[in-house]
Parts: sequence; C-alpha cells; structure tokens
Amino acid sequence: MTRAAATTPAGPLAGLSVVELGDGTSGPYAAKMLGDFGAEVVKVETAAGDSTRRRGPFPDGRPDPEASGLFLYLNLNKYGVTLDLKTTAGRIALDHLLSNADIFISNLSSETLRAADIGPLSLRERYPNLIITTISPFGSTGPWANRKGDELITYAMSGMAYSTPGMPDASDDLEREPPLHPAANVNETIAGLVAATATLTAVFGRSRTGEGCHVEVSQQAALAAMQIRDITTASFTGERYNRLLNPMTIGRMPNFYVPCKDGYVTVAAPMDIHWERLVEAMGKPDWALSKDYATGAARTVNWVALRLKIIEWTMKLTGDELHAIAEEMQLPMFPFYSIRKVADCEQVRERRSLVDVDIGGKRARMPGAPFALRKSPWQLRRPAPRLGEHNEMLLGQLAGATS
Amino acid sequence: MKTAKPLPLEGIRVMDLGQFIAMPFCTLWLAWLGAEVIVVESRKRSTARTAPPFAEGHDRDFNASGYFNFLNAGKKSCAVDMTTAAGRDIVRQLAGKVDVVVDNFSTGVLEKLGLGYESIVKLHPTVIMASNGAFGRTGPMRNSRGLHSAVNLFSGVADVTGYDGGHPRILGGVIPDPLSGTYSNFAILAALHHRNRTGEGQFIDLAMYEAMMTLIPEAVIDYTLNGVEPERVGSRDSMKAPHGIYRCKDDDTWLALSVASDEEWMALCGVAQRPEWAADARFKTADARQKNVAALDLAVEGWTRGQQVHAATDALQAASVAAGPVLRIDELLDDAQLNERGLVITTDHPVVGKRCQLGIPWRMDSLGINYQHAPLVGEHTHQTLTELIGIDAATYARLEADGVLA
Repeated sequence: MTRAAATTPAGPLAGLSVVELGDGTSGPYAAKMLGDFGAEVVKVETAAGDSTRRRGPFPDGRPDPEASGLFLYLNLNKYGVTLDLKTTAGRIALDHLLSNADIFISNLSSETLRAADIGPLSLRERYPNLIITTISPFGSTGPWANRKGDELITYAMSGMAYSTPGMPDASDDLEREPPLHPAANVNETIAGLVAATATLTAVFGRSRTGEGCHVEVSQQAALAAMQIRDITTASFTGERYNRLLNPMTIGRMPNFYVPCKDGYVTVAAPMDIHWERLVEAMGKPDWALSKDYATGAARTVNWVALRLKIIEWTMKLTGDELHAIAEEMQLPMFPFYSIRKVADCEQVRERRSLVDVDIGGKRARMPGAPFALRKSPWQLRRPAPRLGEHNEMLLGQLAGATS
Repeated sequence: MKTAKPLPLEGIRVMDLGQFIAMPFCTLWLAWLGAEVIVVESRKRSTARTAPPFAEGHDRDFNASGYFNFLNAGKKSCAVDMTTAAGRDIVRQLAGKVDVVVDNFSTGVLEKLGLGYESIVKLHPTVIMASNGAFGRTGPMRNSRGLHSAVNLFSGVADVTGYDGGHPRILGGVIPDPLSGTYSNFAILAALHHRNRTGEGQFIDLAMYEAMMTLIPEAVIDYTLNGVEPERVGSRDSMKAPHGIYRCKDDDTWLALSVASDEEWMALCGVAQRPEWAADARFKTADARQKNVAALDLAVEGWTRGQQVHAATDALQAASVAAGPVLRIDELLDDAQLNERGLVITTDHPVVGKRCQLGIPWRMDSLGINYQHAPLVGEHTHQTLTELIGIDAATYARLEADGVLA
C-alpha cells in the first residue's frame, strides 16, 4: 500500500495491514489495538455509520455522530471508508481493500458476512494468506451458535456476573444484591483484546506455515477463560461458588471491603505479619490483643465481630489517611478512588495513562497506551475517521462503490 | 493433547519469573500456543505452590497445588535460588538464551538482585522484558503494593460498579490479573514482531490499573469532557431497557435479559404472555421504557420469578430476544457451549491426576494448540542448565550441593 505517510516513527506492528468490518466495541477494539501499535487499519462502515457514533458521551450531551467519545476512542488511528456491501460495486471495493490486506477483522453476524459473500470459508479460498478474525457472542459452532447475545448476556454466561461483587467484597444480602454487571463494556472490550492477541498469534503462525488462518473468537469464552482462580476451586473441591460474604469466599481474615469516614477501603491482613502491623496501626487496642483475635484461626471464627471492630476504626479515618498508614506500615489496604480522583491524580498524569483529545471542539482525555513499549511506543497518529473520510483517497478510482 | 497442526509460537523461548496470577496467566497462553516457557522458581520461597486448593491427601505438597498447576500447565520448571550469587548468575545466563523475560515482582525486587532490565540488557542487548506491576514501574505510586481489589478501586472501575444508588463495588474474578496478563501477551507478541523487523529488543512496562482503565472509556471521557461523574445503576444500560439480571423461580437462579429494540420488547411481551405490557404507554418506546425503568424492571421480575431460568432462556431466544442464564463459576465446566467449543480441557498430572480447566478461548483452522500438565518443581532444572547454558556435570553437582538449585 502506498498511503502510509511515515511522518511519525513506525510502531511495532508497522507493515501489517488490516481491514475492519466492525460495529460496537469488540471488533473495533481488536482493530484499534493493532492500529494503535502501528498497523495500517481501514475501517469499513455503512452509510449509517458504526452504532457507537450514536452512543456518546457527547460534548454537553448533544448527540453528534462525529463527536461520540466512545466512537472516537475505539477508532483512533484508523482510516475510514463507507461501503454498501449489498451492491456489486461495494463488494468489488471491499475486494480491492482485502487484496492488499494481511488481516480481516469482523464482529458482524455470520449471516451478514455470508450475504455479502465474505463468510470466512469464502475468504479463506479467495485469499489463502489472509488472517480472518471473527468475533461472535458464543462462537460459530455449538448449541448457542445462532443465539443472540450482547455484553450483558455473555458477561452473565462467563461466570463474571455471579461473582460480582467480587472478593473481598461479595454480596451481604442475597435478596437485595443479585449478580451484578457494571456500567461498562467489560466483556466486549476483553473479547476485542483477546481477538487482537489471537490475531498476532496467527501472524506468527503464518510466518511458520506460509498460510492464512481463520481465527474464531467467542466473546463468552474470552471472559470465561479468565476465571482462572475460581475455576481451580471448583475443579479441585467440587464446591459450589458462594456469593455470600463469608470466610470461605473471602479467605483468610481480616480481608474486608468496608466503609471509612469519606468512602470505602479494602483492609487485608492475611498473614500474621500483616495482622501485627494492622494491630499496631490501630494503636494496639485491647480487643485486638485478646485471645479472640490472637491467631489466624480465631480471627476466622470471629470474623463477623472482627469486621465490625475494623469498621469502628476505619470510620474514624479518611481514605487518604488510611492509604498513608498502609504505605507507612506496608499493609495491603487501599481506598476507593472515584473516576474524578484517579483521572486527576499524579500517577496517571506522570505515566500519561490518559491522553488529551479533541471531541467536537472540546478538550477531553481518554485511555492511551494500555502498557508502555519503551522503544516502539503507543502513538496517536490520527484521530478517528469522519464518516467516509477516506473514500476518495482509498477508493477514488472505484467510482460508485461508496454508499 | 498436541494437535498435528503447527503451533503458532513454536521457536519462541520465555523465562518466566512470574508470581501468582498475572504473568503466569500471560505465559500460560504462550506455552499452550507453542512457546517454550521456563519457570524459574525456588522451593525456598512461598509461592502459588504453597497456596490451596491442594489435591486430596496432598496438603502442602509443592506439586499438588491446583492454583499453581492450572496457571503453569505446559511450562517447564527450573529450580534456582535467586538469593544466592550463583543462582543470580544462572538467571543472567538464561536471559541470554531466551527471547523474552517476564516478571511481576513488586517494583524494585529484581533491581535489588541485580536482575533488572538495565542489568540484563547490558549483557543481552536484544532481550525483551515485560514487567507487570499494580501501578507500573514509573510514577509516584510505583512502589505501592496492590492486590486485585486495590487495582479495581484505583482504576475507576469500582466507580461504575454497584447497585442502584449504592456504593462502589469490586468486580469478580480477580480480573485485573488475567486482564493485565493478556495485555502482556499482546505486548510481548508486538515487541517480538518489532524485533523481527528491526533487531531491536525493549522493556515493556505494564500497570494493572491501566489495563483496567481500558474497560471504562465512556466514564473517563464523560468526566474529562463534561465533568459528569458516574451514577451507579445496577445492571441497567443507558440505551437498552429492559436490561438486567432478574430473579427466577429456583433458589439463587437468575436470568440475564437485554432488549435493544421495540420489536424485541414486543417479542418479550409475547413470550411472557403479557399483552397488557405491549399496550402500556409507559413501555411503548425505548425512551419511554428508559424513563419508566423502575416500573419496567419490577414488571419483568414479576414474570421471571415464576420461570425456570433455562426454559425462559429457550423461549426468549426462540423469539429472538437476547437472554441467558447467569452461570456460576462451577457451572462453566459443565456448560454445553463451552464444552463444544473445546474450552473445557483435561490435563493429567502425575501427582494430582486428571483435572478440568479452561483453555484458549478461540479456534484456529490452520494452527494448533498444545495442552500439557504443569511441571513438577525443578523437573527441568538439569535439562535447562546443561542443554541451554552448557553447565558441566561437576559444576551441576556443586551447585546442587550448595543448595543453589533448591
């Protein structure tokens, strides 16, 4: 491809070329990971545009398809074209893009792909060197292959909803605290990351086999595969996972998530050495030195009373004060940070965990590099494309293809 | 359980100084995909090998911890005591024989041992080192310790997790660990790709909280763009309604249900046989359902409370409504879909026997996966030291006698 304008240093994946036919979070995030680290990504949208263009957050809450924060985040570092794949001209244009590509990524339904004659089997035949990464809620085989799923449904079926709130928090009222999903695209993002990782794996595989690959990712499986600690307990003990706040789920005591003067804090002292430090931090109160709490076994037996005693102490202190004590005493104790507090804190500023962007003429920040690659760093090469922004540049010669 | 197909990462060698979950999880997938992963560990240290659950009758047996065995399946074990000078020298030599070194010690631990990146890269200029900490290896909080719960609380993820109007809660599943492990996996492959092109190695600095922040772009942007801070709303969504987890008939069973369009809402009314809902102006449009979401949720749960979760799921799915059962972790091993996808795998370990765990969550048509059991402690010490760094028999015997290989 001739369009790579090398004005910035090449990322680690420079030279790889990707066509993304994605919508929402999972497919676009997979392609974003590759684009953020140097691959050249062309995003293909319909005339209506990716659904995240309608999701926001928008400047001052006013909907604008060119100023959706989520869209601009997920599609950073990509080129964008619009195609109508229901037409022959649209399909020819897509073929033109694919004939130059190393990787095709899509999370559209298999019916949609087949209708445009770009099902994985067809693509494998036509482009033997192409890596084809497809993402679907449950995978393309099995009893759930054709069922409907989204972020919430796959999160629930990955084990995550049942185990949220997680340790050392957990539900304390099974009636009023059902399994919980957060207000975030957790499973779709993780499916995108897994798809990007799987795609790179296949790039290495291709250099061994000289052959392309269909990489087929299940969103449910992507998050289920991360339940590594709790699956161990299930597999080794056969015990049913317990959603209730109790010593079995929480482990060695104390290990609690409790209120403090101005918020919430986790207090963990799993080993004797931690407990000794905690007792000292609390000012060696008589109760803590009594036989009821002298040993790990006693603390576990008396955990209900122990929790209340610790709350009495934490309620006298702010999260910051407790954090300072934790730093000084080397105790695993940490306060809740609101998004306001973390976004504005020194750690995030110094690491540049959030980067400045322009959203509809207003300044904002969004997550930048998820890790620091020292020699070939993450870079903001280009903002997300406006709808059809690169039609002329990439498809100019294919008149009539764009929708 | 090795397939006949080529393994994608064969030929890549990794030295794994990982502890507990995050980095062992990263190298677990690398090993299954064909990389040779050598865990450098010591019987003298308290590690995941000393953590429960243990196989029945093998309490505190170094080779019988489920926790260790599941996270290290398919890797090699090389027992080296890094607190000894000779042990540290072995690690330095090994670093020259691998493509990648990974660690997730507390910040500064490897540097104190003289095994930090700056020391290693002087000896082996093209090495790739991936180092994962709760707060990363730079910044004023680099030395702070943080378990997964601290990372949940610091990252802002807890701010969007909680019941309607309630306090911030912590996500399940120690997710910062495997999530940052997977980012590490991606970062390592990207760095290897870069090295293949340019010959250049590098240091990769991973912070678990940054991995978690990638889950909440909307909330971060809404705050930094508009100054709007999140309100906790249970499992509700800002655009879809009903969207939630609803109690079913049997004890502690729950249905996840997500309605994205008016057609799906009408289909749900049909499945639930509630024509009065379909006619109710409060629920007619997406906007109306969003506005009356409390009444809507109450109505929906009034129906689900009388339903068996799997029967309700089948009926809703047949009507093209996104629905599914809330699965417990222990139910994942029996889930028909995950089993069909080949995700539930069995390894046969010489001490703990056959156990089921979850494997690689994707399929590849032209490439293979190799599922093997975890190594016994020190099982590959002799092989690694003699074959990789050419230690002779007399030196090996002396190192062993000196307790360096314990």
